[in-house]
Amino acid sequence: MIRRLWALSRKELRQLFASPIAYVVLTVYVALTGIYFFQHLVSYNQLLFVYQSEGLTAGGFDQGTVPSQINVLNEVFVPSADDFGLFLLVVLPLVTMRVFAEERANGTDELLLTCGLRPYEVALAKHGVTYFFVLLLLLGSAIYPAVVVLRAGLGLEHLVALYSGQLLYGCAVASLGLACSSFTSSQIVAAVLGYAIPFVLLDFAWLSNTVSESVAAVLREVALLSHYGSFARGVIELRHVVYFAGIAGLGWLASVASLELARAR
Amino acid sequence: MSFLPAAGVVMILVAVGSYYATRSLHGFSAFSGANLLLGALLLAVGVVAQARRFRGFSGAESRRVVLRWSASLVGALALVVGVDVAARGWTSRIDLTLDHSYTLSEQTIALCQKLAQRGGEPIQLVFFEDALLAKDVRLLVAAYGDRCPAVETRDARRREPPQAARDLYTTTATTVIACRGDVCDPVGYPSERNITSAILRLSRERAVHVYFTVGHGEIDLASESDTGYAAVAATLRDQGMDPKALVSPAAPDVPEDADVLVIGAPERDFLPEELAVLERYLSRGGRLLVLADAGQHSNVYSELLPRWGFVLDDSVVLDQAASPLLKEATPVNLLVHLFAPYDPVTRNLSQRTMLLFPRARPVGLGRKPQPDDKLAQVAFASPRSWLSQNLARALAGGELQPPAGAQTGNIGVVATGRFPRGTGEPPAEARIVVIGDRDFAQNRLLEALYNRDLLLNAVRWLGNDEQAIALTDKGWTPNQDPLTLQQTVAYFYFLAFALPETLLLLGIYAWWRQRA
Amino acid sequence: MSAKIEAQGVCKRFGKVVALDALSLEIAAGEIFGLIGPNGAGKTTFIRILTGYWLASEGDVRVDGLSVTRQRFQVQARLGYACEQPKLYPDHRVDKFLHMMGELRGLAGAKLRRATDLAVERLGLGPVLHRHIGVLSKGFRQRVALAQAILHEPAVLVVDEPTVGLDPAQQIELRRILVGFKGQHTVVLCTHQLHEAEMVCDRVALLDQGRLAALATADEIRAGGSLEALFLAKVGTHHEEAP
Repeated sequence: MIRRLWALSRKELRQLFASPIAYVVLTVYVALTGIYFFQHLVSYNQLLFVYQSEGLTAGGFDQGTVPSQINVLNEVFVPSADDFGLFLLVVLPLVTMRVFAEERANGTDELLLTCGLRPYEVALAKHGVTYFFVLLLLLGSAIYPAVVVLRAGLGLEHLVALYSGQLLYGCAVASLGLACSSFTSSQIVAAVLGYAIPFVLLDFAWLSNTVSESVAAVLREVALLSHYGSFARGVIELRHVVYFAGIAGLGWLASVASLELARAR
Repeated sequence: MSFLPAAGVVMILVAVGSYYATRSLHGFSAFSGANLLLGALLLAVGVVAQARRFRGFSGAESRRVVLRWSASLVGALALVVGVDVAARGWTSRIDLTLDHSYTLSEQTIALCQKLAQRGGEPIQLVFFEDALLAKDVRLLVAAYGDRCPAVETRDARRREPPQAARDLYTTTATTVIACRGDVCDPVGYPSERNITSAILRLSRERAVHVYFTVGHGEIDLASESDTGYAAVAATLRDQGMDPKALVSPAAPDVPEDADVLVIGAPERDFLPEELAVLERYLSRGGRLLVLADAGQHSNVYSELLPRWGFVLDDSVVLDQAASPLLKEATPVNLLVHLFAPYDPVTRNLSQRTMLLFPRARPVGLGRKPQPDDKLAQVAFASPRSWLSQNLARALAGGELQPPAGAQTGNIGVVATGRFPRGTGEPPAEARIVVIGDRDFAQNRLLEALYNRDLLLNAVRWLGNDEQAIALTDKGWTPNQDPLTLQQTVAYFYFLAFALPETLLLLGIYAWWRQRA
Repeated sequence: MSAKIEAQGVCKRFGKVVALDALSLEIAAGEIFGLIGPNGAGKTTFIRILTGYWLASEGDVRVDGLSVTRQRFQVQARLGYACEQPKLYPDHRVDKFLHMMGELRGLAGAKLRRATDLAVERLGLGPVLHRHIGVLSKGFRQRVALAQAILHEPAVLVVDEPTVGLDPAQQIELRRILVGFKGQHTVVLCTHQLHEAEMVCDRVALLDQGRLAALATADEIRAGGSLEALFLAKVGTHHEEAP
C-alpha cells in the first residue's frame, strides 16, 4: 500500500507542477505575504520611532522606553498571521479545484478506480500532495518572518507554533476545497464551492445576534477563525489541533465518499 | 451547477461579505439578512430541483452504499462538531513563547495553592471577550482557570458585566476584572503580574491601611460640606480599606501597618524631621499619594517631590476645552480626557470617561533619581491647554485665551513613579502618585464624571503588595528593533519581487513545456 | 492464465432509463469474446460493471467465481482494462506512466522492469518510450492503454473500442496484437466494427437495448453468412433513425 501511495503521490506531484497554476499561486502567495509582512514591519518601525523620539517623550511615557505591549509579536506577527490566513483562503481553492474535478472530467478516474486502487488510497494521495503544496506555500512565506524571529529574539519555537497553526489551518481549508472538487467534474463549480464553504465557515459572528446563546457557542466552536489565533501567539493548544485535524479528516472522508457514491450511481 | 443553487450561493456570500464590510457600523443589516434568506431559499429550491432531476442509485447494493457513506459522513460531521464542542474545556497546550507568557509562574501557582488550602470565597476573574486586548489575554486568563483552583474564570461582555462589577466603569481597555464577593478590582494592563496582584489584594485578610497626614493644612476627611472630603474616607471604607489619620506628624516613623500614605494638598511646609521620616518610608518601599493644588506652597512640592523626579511648577493649568459642568465655565475647570491607556492609575479612563479637575497644577517629570526608576505622566490636559502664572487673574476669569506665543498642550496633571529600593531580591518597590488637583476629590465632585475611579485606581495601585509574591513582569522584552530599515527593504526586494519572479518564470516554463 | 466470466441477470438502471436489462452471459477462459451492438446497447455499461467501476442495479458478474459487487478489488487484480478513447495522463512520459501503472498494480523492482519491457515489446512502444503521452498519435495512445492493461499479466483483458479512429495500418496491427493474446488472457472486446469482431473473436454477443439479442460462435457466424447479416436480422437499422 505504501508503494501504491508513493506512486500515486508522484503522479499527483507531476500533474500539479506540470500546470502553471501551481507556480502562479506560489508567486501570488509569496508576494502578498512578503508585501504585507513588510507593511507591518514598517508601521512597527514607525511606531518605535514615535516612542523613541526624544521630542515626544515629554508627552507621557518614560523617556526612551517603549511600553511592553508595543512589541514585534503584537504589532507584526499577530496581524501578519491574520493576513496570511486570509490569503490562504484566497489562493487555496485555485489549487484544489483541479485535483478531483479534472480527473473526473478527463475520465482518468476510470483508469485509477479499475486498477485495484482503493478509493481511500486515491483520496489519501491527493490530499497528501495538496497538503505538501500548502507546506511549500508556507515555506515560501516563512523566510521573512524567520529572519525577523531570529533577529527579534522571539525564539524559533515561536515560529514553529505560528507555522503549525498556518499549516493546520491551510490543510483544513485545502481539505474542504478538495471535498468540493471531488463532488463535481467542473473546476469552476469546485472553485466557487471551495471559496464559499470556508468563507461561510470562517466566523459565525454574523449569526450570533440572531440565534440563541447556546447555539452561538456551538457555532463559535465550529468557526475556523476561533481556532486560529492562539498559534500566532506561540501557543499550540490541543483542542485547536484536534479541530483542524477533524476538518481535514472530514474533507478526506467526503472525497472517499464521493468516489464510492460515483460507483453506486 | 444549475442557475438557482449558483445564485443562492452567490447571495449567501454577498450576505456574509456585506456583513463583514459593514460590521463596524452596525450589526447584521437588513440588506445582509434579505440576501441570506433569499439565498438560502434559492439554494434549497435549486438543490431539491437538482435532486429531482438526478437519476441513479438504483439497486439494493447501490442504496446500501449510499446509505453507508451518507451515514458515515453525517456521523463523522457530528463526531467532529461534538469533539470540538467537548474540547472547549481541554487545557493541554504547549507554550512555545520565549518567556512562557501563557504559563503561570511558580509564585502565582504557590499563591493559588495557598488560597485553595485556606478555602473561603473563590476569586472570580471576569474576562471581557469584547475588550481591545481580549485576544491577547484569553490564553493567560485560561491558564488561571486551569491551574488555579481558588480562581474561577467567567466570560462576560461589556454590556452585561456581573452584578458585583456593575458600579465599575468598563471601557474597551477593561479586559479583566477580579472579584471576590461584592468587591471587584479592575486589572489594568492584563499581565500575569497585575492579575496576580489583584488576586492577592482581594484575598488579603486585613484591610488596606491608608494613612492621611494632618497638620499642614491638608484636606479634611471629617468635613461633610460640599468642599469637604468626607466622601473620600467613605469611598475607601466601601472598598474594604481603612482610612486613618497620621496624628503625629513628628512621629519617629510611618506606622509599620501603613499600606498607603496620603499627603492631601498641604498648604504649609513639613518640618525637616518629617520630611526625613517620609524619605525613610519611601526608601524602604513606601507608597505615597500626593494631591497638589494650584497656588499652594509647601516643601513637599518644592523639596520632597523633586528629589523623586516630579516637577510641580507654581502655575495653574488653563484649558479652552474647559468644563461647563460647574457654574464658572472658565478655562480653570479642566476636563481631563487624555490618558495613558494601560497605566494602572488611569486604566478604564478614556476620552469618554473624563475627569473634572478644577484649578489643576501641572505635574511634570524631571531627572530620575536612579536609572532603574520609572516615571510617567498618565493624564493630560487637552492640546488647547496652557499654563498661567497668574492664578488670581485666571481664577477671576481674566485669561480666556492663551497669550500670544504661549506653548499649548502636553500638560501633564497626573504622574506616577516606581522606584526599586533596598537590597532585597527583587528589591522593594516604592511608588508615588502625584495628582495635580485636590478639588476633584471634594464631596461635591468625587462622584462627578469619573473622579472616583482615579482616586480608587491610585490607592489600589499604591496599596498592591506585589512584593509579597515577588513576581516580576515577564515583560517580554525582545529586541525591539528587529531589522534596520535597510535590511527590511533588502529582504522586501528579495521576497516580494525576486522570489515571486523566479516562481513565475518557473510557471511560464512549465506552461511552455506543456504546450510544446 | 485466463479466467471464466459469468454474468447473471445484470441490470443497470439510471432512473427510468434501463441501460442493461437482465443480461446473462458466460465467457469461457482463454477465449476472445466480442460485444457488439448499436450505440446505447449497453456495451460500455456492461464493461464498467465488469471492471467494478459501476455497481449493477441487480445481478452480479463473477470472474473466476469472485463477485464484482462484493470482491471488486480481487477481481480488479485479475483484470486489465483499456478503456475507450484512452484516458491517460498527457503530461506523463510513456515509460514513467507504465512504471507508475505497474507500481499501482503492485509490481516492483526487477519484476516491474521485466513487465514493462515485455509490454513495450509486445505493443511496439520502443520508439515513443521517452515521449509525453499528450503528443502521441491516437494509435500509439491506444497501444499505451493496452500496454498498461497487460502489465500485470491479467487473467482477463477488457478492451473497449480499441481501433476507433485509427488508420487501416494501425487497425491491422492492433488486431494482430489482440489475436496474439488468445489463450493467454480471456479477452472481452467491445467494438462497433463488425468485421473486426468477426476476424478476431471466438464468440460474439450482440446487445440491443440492454438485452442479449444474439450469441454466436465464429463458426455459427460463418455458417450464417456474416456478422452483418446477423446484426441486420436481430437489430436492423432502426437505431439510426432513433433520436
